[in-house]
Amino acid sequence: MSAQALINENALGRNRRIKRLGKLGLLLNPLVAYFFLWAPILVLVLFSFNQSKSVASFTGFTLKWYSNILNNVVGAESAFSTELMLNAFRNSLFVGTIATAIATALGTMIALAMARGRFPGKRLLDGLLFLPVVIPEITQAISLAIFFKVAFDWIHLLSGERVFPGFHTIIMAHVTFNISYVAIVVRARLADMDPTLEEAASDLGANPWQTFWRVTFPLILPGVIAGALLAFTLSLDDFVITFFTSGVGTTTLPVFVYGLLKLTVTPEVNAISTIMMLLSTLLIGISLALQGRGTSQR
Amino acid sequence: MTATDVELIDIVKDFESGAGRVRAVDHVSVQIADGEFFALLGPSGCGKTTTLRLIAGFEQPTAGQVLIRGRAMQGIPAYHRPVNTVFQDYALFPHLTVEQNIMFGLQMEGVEKKEAQKRALESLEQVRLPGVGGRRPHQLSGGQQQRVALARALVKQPAVLLLDEPLGALDLKLRKNMQVELKALQRDVGITFIYVTHDQEEAITMADRIAVMNHGEMLQVGTPKEIYERPGTHFVADFIGETNFVDGTLLERGEAGFGMVKLMNDAVIRAQLSDTLASEGGPVLVAIRPERISISRADAGPAGAGMTSLSATLVDSQYIGTDTRFTLQIGENIELVARLQNIDDLPKAAFSIGQAVTASWGETSTTILDH
Repeated sequence: MSAQALINENALGRNRRIKRLGKLGLLLNPLVAYFFLWAPILVLVLFSFNQSKSVASFTGFTLKWYSNILNNVVGAESAFSTELMLNAFRNSLFVGTIATAIATALGTMIALAMARGRFPGKRLLDGLLFLPVVIPEITQAISLAIFFKVAFDWIHLLSGERVFPGFHTIIMAHVTFNISYVAIVVRARLADMDPTLEEAASDLGANPWQTFWRVTFPLILPGVIAGALLAFTLSLDDFVITFFTSGVGTTTLPVFVYGLLKLTVTPEVNAISTIMMLLSTLLIGISLALQGRGTSQR
Repeated sequence: MTATDVELIDIVKDFESGAGRVRAVDHVSVQIADGEFFALLGPSGCGKTTTLRLIAGFEQPTAGQVLIRGRAMQGIPAYHRPVNTVFQDYALFPHLTVEQNIMFGLQMEGVEKKEAQKRALESLEQVRLPGVGGRRPHQLSGGQQQRVALARALVKQPAVLLLDEPLGALDLKLRKNMQVELKALQRDVGITFIYVTHDQEEAITMADRIAVMNHGEMLQVGTPKEIYERPGTHFVADFIGETNFVDGTLLERGEAGFGMVKLMNDAVIRAQLSDTLASEGGPVLVAIRPERISISRADAGPAGAGMTSLSATLVDSQYIGTDTRFTLQIGENIELVARLQNIDDLPKAAFSIGQAVTASWGETSTTILDH
């Protein structure tokens, strides 16, 4: 074998080794990434079924904590009561439902305007729409808190009425960030829809109102529902913004759970968190399924 | 032909684009008669679809007037116009059944559900597609969807049916069948058809009259025969069928629509003047259709009256199934393509490459066009 051939052979061998290493890396990368993502959650879920009260070791399987949170059997050191939890859950559903309804209507309208309208500054507005998705939640929370404070001061100054934060401020805050999510999801759906369908409706004698309700809306409905479910989930799960805009007696479930944590991490908190996670996952799952559907319909 | 159904008066349509203004339709005026099958023919981007959309009401003209049955359409939205459209990609509502698709337009008119259902069924039979009323559009083949789109438009009994390349998405064989069927259907229902196509053969076989468009201008309007045999411009002659173009100099505009042209080999030939010829003398183009040129042996007798004969050399022949294409060299600079049908008694064997022959054609088969 000549020297050149040897060098070639070596280079080939090195290439092969690098390739094998690369393959291994590609395999490990997602495993490690998913481990970091999911391990804490797995621990939480696991310990919601742990017999021992401590998180030091897993001593056996039990549903005790789940039954405790429903039957109000919790140790004296905990601030927990089933009644308070259910009340917080009711508050969450109340805020979520109203905020979702408003955000879905407004978000859908914005999506329609962006997809079909032609007006100056459209690109800028389009970019601004993504802002609530990318700015830190804490920034938005503080800005909203300050905004409400200033607004209420002005109301007091002008009308003499004193307004306090409460459900209305939480709902307004939730609507604010949810509009973006709804608009983005509905817009994606609209982009999929052939605009000639609207022309066809018009051609067949439907005025713009009839065209919207008989053609456009049924076709984007999966997107609207997906957007609403996403908004509802985000509203149910939101802690930071809610915390900064809530008043007295408006504790939502995440805020309630946070209150529990201030004292001690009990297995009940793990159980509640697991239930919340399952609920959110379910809603998001339905939302994603709806977003993916329909493109194959045509 | 009776009354005028659609009239375009000096229509201009400009679109604003990033680069500035683009003129899609440039001073188009035309009258389309009631019951006529009228084709708008041209390459993509020529403004034919925009013209159709202006009639449908999806676009508003920058200047000019659209009249339908004598009524000015200015400010009248698409949903109040007595026209219906068959879209290129059919635009059937995917969330509705075939029957609901066809009933849609009737329900918008306030027709009762039962009556609408009855008429939808009749309409499906009219387009020879019975029994699919309960299906969704995506369960049908392209050809079937096309028929549903047609039924959906026809059931409204419009004054004018606008068709935007309706057969464009179908395969060749189906397209040929549909051409015949559409033409028969149009004769049956007696509705004015305005038919947009880029396929010159489709336009020639189906239309009563054709308007050839390019760069937003309507270059020529006429029957298929007029368009094919008396093209008005270089573009029309080139776009419709195959044409030989020969440079020449117009010597004189003679009597009865004929003129004398000196070709580059100094031969002087007589040919018909195009109706819109502007040139009074000087450089012009002579258009000759390949199938109008006949080839005979060089030693054959002189051509008859009304015929032009030139000596040529056969430089190439190409067998293309129905025909054989011969390339002829005349003088040094003129090359002509002649197409002879492959029939049993054609003495093809008599011609060999390099042979001296005589190319001849009728004076009415050549048209003098502006350069």
